[in-house]
Amino acid sequence: ENSPAPLPERAIYGFALFLGSWFGFMLYLIWAYVPETWLFSLGLTYWPQKYWAVALPVYLLVVIGIGYVLLFGINMMSTAPLNSTDTVTDNYAKKQQRKKFQEEAIPALRDIPISEVNRMFFLPEK
Amino acid sequence: MEERRYLSASGARIALRHRQHSASCGELAVRCPRLRLRSLSAATSAAWLAAYGLFVVTENSMVLSAAIVIMLVGLIMYLHFVKIDQESLLVIGSLGIQVTSSYASGKESTTFIEMSQVKDVVINEAIHMQKVIYYLCILLQDPGDPQGVSEVVPLFQSSKPRLDCLIEVYKSCQEILEQRKTPPQSS
Repeated sequence: ENSPAPLPERAIYGFALFLGSWFGFMLYLIWAYVPETWLFSLGLTYWPQKYWAVALPVYLLVVIGIGYVLLFGINMMSTAPLNSTDTVTDNYAKKQQRKKFQEEAIPALRDIPISEVNRMFFLPEK
Repeated sequence: MEERRYLSASGARIALRHRQHSASCGELAVRCPRLRLRSLSAATSAAWLAAYGLFVVTENSMVLSAAIVIMLVGLIMYLHFVKIDQESLLVIGSLGIQVTSSYASGKESTTFIEMSQVKDVVINEAIHMQKVIYYLCILLQDPGDPQGVSEVVPLFQSSKPRLDCLIEVYKSCQEILEQRKTPPQSS
């Protein structure tokens, strides 16, 4: 039911969004460029100050720039420190059930404890 | 007792000294590089040149004396609290593990962990400051759950040896820790 194929409803939504965004852009240009006296003579007196026509795009660009730094910082803060048990295990590994060992079958997939992994890697088998 | 040279994770030269006192007692010490005279003089000259520049701009001679005092106090605090000279690990099979850090000013800080609390000593990999590093850590036993780990104590935090040095330390620790499982031969 959730295929990405084009449907008539999706075409209508897309066209409505297209018209809406063009209308919004034209409105923004009119508000930014048409002098205030002309707007007053038309009766449109309660529009925001034209200062915002420049301020809002600048705010948006600064937010995008800060967003890069913020994402980097959030990533660094969410990394587990070296002394936390999250580097060794987690809730799923603690609650896992061990399946019985069957002869001549591939062993079941499980989280191997770090002590076993270390022994296998670093202590040579005699 | 031999001393071998290795590299730390950041490329500095460190030395590992391994003393085996007996079959169940071993001491491993990692010595960090000393504070170099040229880096100290470079930092001092940079700070004093900046202070002199500030003096030329503000015409206030207090800036110069303040810079000298800050340099001296900062150097003493750095040697006493930050610069680690040697980190050592003493593993006594029946007693526990003692971790000692000695600072450049001579201060030593030790931590002792009793053997019944120690689950295992392992080499773990973790993300640290945009790098993935190997580090040795002591896993402490969870009193309620025999399979669980209650705490992770990372070792050699300032010298950060690389994997070849860590494997040496790991092997000597495991030789001593393995004797815990088998009961002592003499009764």
